[in-house]
Amino acid sequence: MSGPAYPPAVLDLFLRAPGAGRPDGPGWASGEAREPLSATHVRVHLKAADGRIAALRWEARGCPYTLALAALLSTQAPGRPLGQALPDIRALARELDAPVGKLGRFLVVQDAMAAAVLLLVPRPA
Amino acid sequence: MSAPDLYFDHAATTPVDPVVAAAMAECLASAPGNPAATHAAGRAARDRVEAARAEVAALVGAPPAAVVFTSGATESDNLAILGAVRAAGSARHLVTLRTEHRAVLDACRRLEREGHRLTQLKPGRDGRIDPAAVGAAIGPDTALVSVMLVNNETGVIQDIAAIAAECRRRGTLLHVDAAQAAGRVPLDCAALDVDLLSLSAHKIHGPQGVGALVVRRAPRPALAPQLLGGGQEGGLRAGTVAVHQVVGMGIAYRIAREQGAAESAALAVLRDRLWAGLGGLPGVLLNGAADGRAPHILNVSIEGVDGEALLAGLGELTVASGAACGAESGEPSYVLRALGRDDALAQASLRFSLGRGSSAAGVDAAIAIVAAAVRRLRSLAPA
Repeated sequence: MSGPAYPPAVLDLFLRAPGAGRPDGPGWASGEAREPLSATHVRVHLKAADGRIAALRWEARGCPYTLALAALLSTQAPGRPLGQALPDIRALARELDAPVGKLGRFLVVQDAMAAAVLLLVPRPA
Repeated sequence: MSAPDLYFDHAATTPVDPVVAAAMAECLASAPGNPAATHAAGRAARDRVEAARAEVAALVGAPPAAVVFTSGATESDNLAILGAVRAAGSARHLVTLRTEHRAVLDACRRLEREGHRLTQLKPGRDGRIDPAAVGAAIGPDTALVSVMLVNNETGVIQDIAAIAAECRRRGTLLHVDAAQAAGRVPLDCAALDVDLLSLSAHKIHGPQGVGALVVRRAPRPALAPQLLGGGQEGGLRAGTVAVHQVVGMGIAYRIAREQGAAESAALAVLRDRLWAGLGGLPGVLLNGAADGRAPHILNVSIEGVDGEALLAGLGELTVASGAACGAESGEPSYVLRALGRDDALAQASLRFSLGRGSSAAGVDAAIAIVAAAVRRLRSLAPA
């Protein structure tokens, strides 16, 4: 393999890419974020039901860690209350054994998710 | 039927030719001798070293006495640049290109930190430098010009003969890093009219850890040795000559002399086949000039994908990348950026380099692997 060695979980998520895809109908809220220096671009699509995340899909251009994090969120986010939907990026970075240098790209995923969550949270009257 | 060879990183290093390995093993197994010693064992070792020196000299059109063995092209570059400039007295200016190998650039920057003036010329988008621009950069206090023959990332060939003419007209020494050129493109020191030429063994199916600096005999440039000790290699490179390494380099260069032209022609066909396949994919850009290239190197940038993700998706395909993850510096390829590529395209670049084990089946497999990886990454990316 040409690239650096990745933790098995990262490589697995990167290659399988669970949750990758675009919305397939109405009822999805989409948020996106970019980091121009590395050209990282993430779009997160959320569907909610009864105040909880029902499904998460994602589209991303980024390094294997970025794609692995988006994929991991698609498996972990469903069921979470919208008010607690945002991931603990540092904990996930530890879970993926990601180098510190990747935290900036993880924040792009978090920002995209936050933008989508904001569209789903009811605004105060 | 065996799987095709998916090793496409011969510009980094090549597998040692079995004939070379056998000669080195025989040398190691035979009676030891220090080639600097005067007894029979020493003379036998010296004979092996001189035979290897003659082989290296024959490939590059130089007299054997011009060949100084070193530990590799990096040391040769250091000896040429630091040695020539430190011996040059009042001449305190150097000229090189931004696209040179780090061994050249770092040596030049060391001299700059020591108070010398450094001019780093920017080549065109095709990777070539106009020889007249080199000439224009030379001043009365220029001690040395250093320009590589074949760029290690792009394979672009510089017009060394024309650059040498500019140097000669102005009385400046010319150093050429030919690590990627030996055995791959015609190389004749006399015809090129260079003063100093760096060579490597392991880029041409010889062993790692040995190279040479060819130093013109007449007029012989003054060089300050960078290693001090026993006065070996004409006083230019102290330290016991590693006989088995040198023997391996000699055999590798002999094979290159005997087979290099035919091999290069075959590699050029494979390189063109590779480009025909990759260039047919949408958003794949050739880095460097389309013509006047070494036969074994092809460098492409791929739009719309992350370089690190691309590399991770290539499976068993072994290539070099401009992605920061693949570079010790942590920065995208400075060579491609000097050619005008932005960071994203410099990151999303792949260098394919071919060698003796390369085949059409391997090339076709590589094209298919890259095409699938690019297609997949683009399908995952936001539209």
